[in-house]
Amino acid sequence: MKSIKNHLMFILPLMAILLGIEFFLVFDRTTDRYEKSLKEGYSMLVVAKKPMKLSTFKKLNNHIKISQPIKRKAIISKVIKDIGESSKDEILDALPYFYTLKLDSYLDTRELNNIKKDIEAYENVKKVETFGESYNDSYRLFSFIQFILEVFIIFIAVVSLLLIIKQMEIWKYAHKERMQIMEIFGAPLMLRSGVLFKIALIDAIFSTIFVSALFLYIKFNWAKDSGINIIIQNKEELFMITDIAILLFSALVIVVVSVYSVVFTTNGIDE
Amino acid sequence: MSNVIHASHLTLSYDNGKKEIIKNANFRIQKGDFVFITGPSGSGKSTLLKALYGQLKASEGSLVLGGLDLSTISTGKLQELRTHIGIIFQDYKLINEWNVAKNVVLPLMIAGYSTEIQEVQAKRLLKHVKLTDYGERFPLELSGGEQQRVGVARALAKNPVVILADEPTGNLDEYSSNVIWDLMENACQQLNTTVLVVTHKIPTIFSLPYRHFTIESKGIYEVH
Repeated sequence: MKSIKNHLMFILPLMAILLGIEFFLVFDRTTDRYEKSLKEGYSMLVVAKKPMKLSTFKKLNNHIKISQPIKRKAIISKVIKDIGESSKDEILDALPYFYTLKLDSYLDTRELNNIKKDIEAYENVKKVETFGESYNDSYRLFSFIQFILEVFIIFIAVVSLLLIIKQMEIWKYAHKERMQIMEIFGAPLMLRSGVLFKIALIDAIFSTIFVSALFLYIKFNWAKDSGINIIIQNKEELFMITDIAILLFSALVIVVVSVYSVVFTTNGIDE
Repeated sequence: MSNVIHASHLTLSYDNGKKEIIKNANFRIQKGDFVFITGPSGSGKSTLLKALYGQLKASEGSLVLGGLDLSTISTGKLQELRTHIGIIFQDYKLINEWNVAKNVVLPLMIAGYSTEIQEVQAKRLLKHVKLTDYGERFPLELSGGEQQRVGVARALAKNPVVILADEPTGNLDEYSSNVIWDLMENACQQLNTTVLVVTHKIPTIFSLPYRHFTIESKGIYEVH
């Protein structure tokens, strides 16, 4: 019973840290994907007096990634139906040049306004229209949730680390005498701390398994019934096989640091 | 005869030299010697023992054990050297969560002996200290005298070059003390092991020839 309690006292804070890491990974991936979709949905329409090349747009602002000219003949063909074929060339001459611009990343409103201003400042440009501003509010909300989550994760990680340190002190007290006696008889570091490493490694593996199992359940069972669109759409982002390696690596780093902190503070024999 | 221990102008102190315990001591101890070190409480007997198992470094001079200078020895070499030293403490220093047999073979475990050899040696050593049926018991189930016999068996486990004992009978009754002295005399006589015992009082029943050092006013002097 005491042994189970000792394990839980280490596993639970370790799991809290691993959950934090996994939440961060999931949110980071989901945000990334969401930003990508926002970026793809966002575009600028530029009306220019003369033809413009991508390099010219890039000189105006380096966030511009793609410029696609809108075929003027296609616009005219719709107008011609009402006006007549005879005026086609005349209208074509009078018609400005239209371009759709795509950006390299999803930017905040201030930066988008700067791009618009940069393009408008160019003498050849008559007008700039933007599409996709309706995404702005949801993006802001998303960023806010991500920020809150990150703060929460950091808070949980700090509290959990304090709990782990507390548990280490209990371990230190429990194993101190044995490790000191072994040291006096010439036991190398790995031998005298072997038991601690064994316990801690088992706990690290269990913590990784528990957290992975929880997210696998969320991914394959809970997500589809959740009714939350963003989760259903990003189901694949909820847990990836590489996450197991990241979680296990993180758990092992915490374990090794924790055990060494015990081992290096129990040198020498007490009077 | 070869020197097992050689102290030359040895000074031992605490607090970075501020508190001197032993000053400018010189002595040599040969293989097979049985040595008693006596002196009043706080004179530095246990400090000298600490220095001999590498827990305290000399602040001046040198202290050589088994050909290795303990004041300049590396951690790796010290670990290796400690596997050739048997140590007996007044408070036994047994590992309470391990059974008696496992405690006894600790030096063999550290030296990497196989489990089979450890089992055989545990039986032999426990028979030697007259605790044949105690292998599966735990230290806290034994009397003080029995625990110290386990401590002696552990110290003898790897046929050490030297046995260092810090008040080995300090907590024991007369009968148990005599058993412990017997075991240590045997180790010295039969295995030619050097034995260095820190004690308040030399036992009256002791039959072996021995050397007697005393620590007084920070100096170490041979009196017998």
